[in-house]
Amino acid sequence: MSIAVRRPQQGGQQAGGPAGRRPAAPRSGTRARALRRIGQAALVVAATFVLAFLLLHALPGDAIVARYASPELGLSPEQLADLRAAYGADQPVWVQLGLSAWGFLTGDLGTSLQTGAEVSTLIAAALPPTLALAGLGFLLAAVLAVGIAALATFGRWEPLRRAFRSLPPLFVSIPVFWIGIVLLQVVSFRLGLIPVIGANAAEQLVLPVVTIAIPIAAPLAQVLIRAIDDTLAEPYVAVARSRGASAGWLLQREVARNALLPTLTIAGVLFGELIAGAVVTETVFARSGLGRLTADAVATRDIPVLQAVVVISAVAFVVINLVVDLVAPAIDPRLRKEVRA
Amino acid sequence: MVRIPSRSRVAVAGAVVAALALSACSASEATSPAASGSGEPVVGGTLTYLEHQAYSSLYPPAAGFYPNGALVNNLTSRLLYQDPETLELEPWIATALPEVNEDATEYTFDIRTDVTYSDGTPLTAENVVANIELFGTGDTDRALIVSEAVNDFEAGEVVDEDTVRFTFSAPAPGFAQAVSTINSGLLADATLERDSEGFGPGNATEIIGAGPFVVEAEEVGTSIRLAARDDYAWAPASFPNQGRPYVDAVDIVIAPEDSVRIGALTAGQADIARQVEPQHEEEVASAGLEIVSAQTNGVNNGLSFRFDHPLLEDIRVRQALIAGIDREAIVSSIFSEHYPLATSSLSQTALGYQDQGDAYAFDPERAAQLLDEAGWEPGADGIRTRDGERLHLVVNEALPQPRSRDVITLVAQQLREIGVELELFQGDQAAQTAASADIDQIQIYHSMVGRADFDVIKSQYSIENRNTLQNADADGNPVDPQLEDLLQQVAAAPTTEGREEADAAVQAYLTEQAYVLPFFEEPQVYGVQPRVHGFLTESVGRPSLANVWLEG
Repeated sequence: MSIAVRRPQQGGQQAGGPAGRRPAAPRSGTRARALRRIGQAALVVAATFVLAFLLLHALPGDAIVARYASPELGLSPEQLADLRAAYGADQPVWVQLGLSAWGFLTGDLGTSLQTGAEVSTLIAAALPPTLALAGLGFLLAAVLAVGIAALATFGRWEPLRRAFRSLPPLFVSIPVFWIGIVLLQVVSFRLGLIPVIGANAAEQLVLPVVTIAIPIAAPLAQVLIRAIDDTLAEPYVAVARSRGASAGWLLQREVARNALLPTLTIAGVLFGELIAGAVVTETVFARSGLGRLTADAVATRDIPVLQAVVVISAVAFVVINLVVDLVAPAIDPRLRKEVRA
Repeated sequence: MVRIPSRSRVAVAGAVVAALALSACSASEATSPAASGSGEPVVGGTLTYLEHQAYSSLYPPAAGFYPNGALVNNLTSRLLYQDPETLELEPWIATALPEVNEDATEYTFDIRTDVTYSDGTPLTAENVVANIELFGTGDTDRALIVSEAVNDFEAGEVVDEDTVRFTFSAPAPGFAQAVSTINSGLLADATLERDSEGFGPGNATEIIGAGPFVVEAEEVGTSIRLAARDDYAWAPASFPNQGRPYVDAVDIVIAPEDSVRIGALTAGQADIARQVEPQHEEEVASAGLEIVSAQTNGVNNGLSFRFDHPLLEDIRVRQALIAGIDREAIVSSIFSEHYPLATSSLSQTALGYQDQGDAYAFDPERAAQLLDEAGWEPGADGIRTRDGERLHLVVNEALPQPRSRDVITLVAQQLREIGVELELFQGDQAAQTAASADIDQIQIYHSMVGRADFDVIKSQYSIENRNTLQNADADGNPVDPQLEDLLQQVAAAPTTEGREEADAAVQAYLTEQAYVLPFFEEPQVYGVQPRVHGFLTESVGRPSLANVWLEG
């Protein structure tokens, strides 16, 4: 699959790091590779669509049941059958799959069975707040990760370095849900620093962004620490050091470049984490967004909405990894060589 | 027993709320509204109201779902008003109670001519007829359902500019109450044209009613802002606030996570929160807030034993289940005093309530004896068997009801003691609903229903309605025709006395046959800041915000 994590081989280093000058790969090879990767990506999305559709339909009960068969409404079986027909839910699953697939291809995502709203409207409303949350969360995670990695490797005091080294495993183990609740209880409810209810746009983002950033920062920091360790163990670094290179110079000139690729690769994988984090964070903080939309749709078995969310997530996931894969050779010439070989 | 006053001045309301707070073991008597001097209501301010879930539709017949009902109740007026305390009906948009013919198949209302919708259009006789016709017949093409409260609707007719008449194909004694419920909230002509989608999230600002509030802004799934209607002047006579709402605006904010809703409320970030779970009541009360508990006046929270299932056919087994469950232990361990122990299938405040005495007494020895007599012998693992078959029953999880999973867990422990194995059906709402319609999957059904009319018992048990007992065979005929007959009499008796008798007969029959075990009278529980005064609910516990005012 296209989402495999590709790490550069650590062997074969040359002084000056991997970003040294090398002739560019022939265009034809790159293009064929790119096309193959895009084809794989499309296949993944299509497979996701079909699988999600079949799995959702295999569950007992459906959205018509969830919305109208609720005893609260007291509808008779005949009335329910009428509604089922009105929504096309009485047709065979293959027909429904075909109609749904055709809708997606032509840009019609259908309507939510629970609320009746256009799925595209719901998604359009939910996307911006989630992008803001995920984008800022990722930025903060990157800053945190760099900070942790720098202190864990270049920190001046051994216990400090060890403490920061143990932070990523700790961060990975804390559930997002718990981080959110604790932040809320302490920062908002006890200290009253930031209101959750009636907050302005900036205030609304602070705690959720911190919440979502922590579990993302952890694997990023781990990869960075590993990459820095590996680089620092290289003979050319020892040479540079012996010539009086400062830690800052080393970090900038040698380590950062070498650490970029593994970080970029894992960043593609972490997108999934961001989506899962958004579901929890948005529910805990009562924010609207794609995660909240997903949680609600799961609760009410709102298949068109779930279908759209799954496909959008798959597309985003695939695109991010595709971009990472296609950009990787530009960053690391060794990958270009690999293609040609 | 705690209820919300309505036919009373604000001061009295304050005093009662204070009494509620005290009975809720509130630590802070000094902060209750009565103590802080409930003077004249203050006009102005914005109320922040925390809701548990986002609304799904503003189509009035779908307003049974609490988040929907909370909005519809404040956005619409109805023909009649039901006093939430006495449950008596009084005029609202109608100028008087309707004239009803002898067999309750024809209702004539005289209506006000000075009422306007918030889009400026007048509320006319034609409009009223169009509303009730839609609610009475539904429109499948637009996926708009028939109102559960309106039965046997035939036609509506404009008699003259201020008179409307509705006719029914069978006696409809519940119709007067039906037009007072939020399911019959009147809508402007333009709104009546909408389809199911058009009543869904994202459209709230375009849902036009003639109630005290209008929707000013909506952020789908997150918040809704209601604005007071300055020219609202047609409140029902017994409603304490006769003019426009005291507050200028209400921010309804969705906070699905319990700890967030309660935390934000106790931290003073909100004024009112709906759905304070029993385990959070103490936290709310000890923060100096009032717990307001509104009764829902209908069929109590409890179990329906599906007697058509082979394991439950024998009345002795059903009696054993009732005797083997210690309701007091359940209510006292996981609920609070706002959840009174049930004394009948109907709540004490429901119309037609009849005390069933000691019908639900806990007596495990008798339970064991009954099961012995029915031929169920204890097996090796303690669970009883008969002819190689285990006494294994499945119950649904009532997801909308408070702590259903905890209740069932305790019940299962208790029943295990008498050798009955109770399994909780696992699954989400859709899976629960689908399985609940199948007696092979769910033999015991956990549920409740709130509606302040005699009909509510029929809504719960009739094969035409919720049919919680699954009293219909494969051909749709009642398995127990006597029960169905009694339920039909509730709906058919044209007089109040007749309906009372019919309701009593149903309750007695349910007890005699050991068909149901009611647990407690389910309230709607709100947490309210001390600075909030005059908080009221309608007859099934939805908030009426027009009377709320904020101190200072």
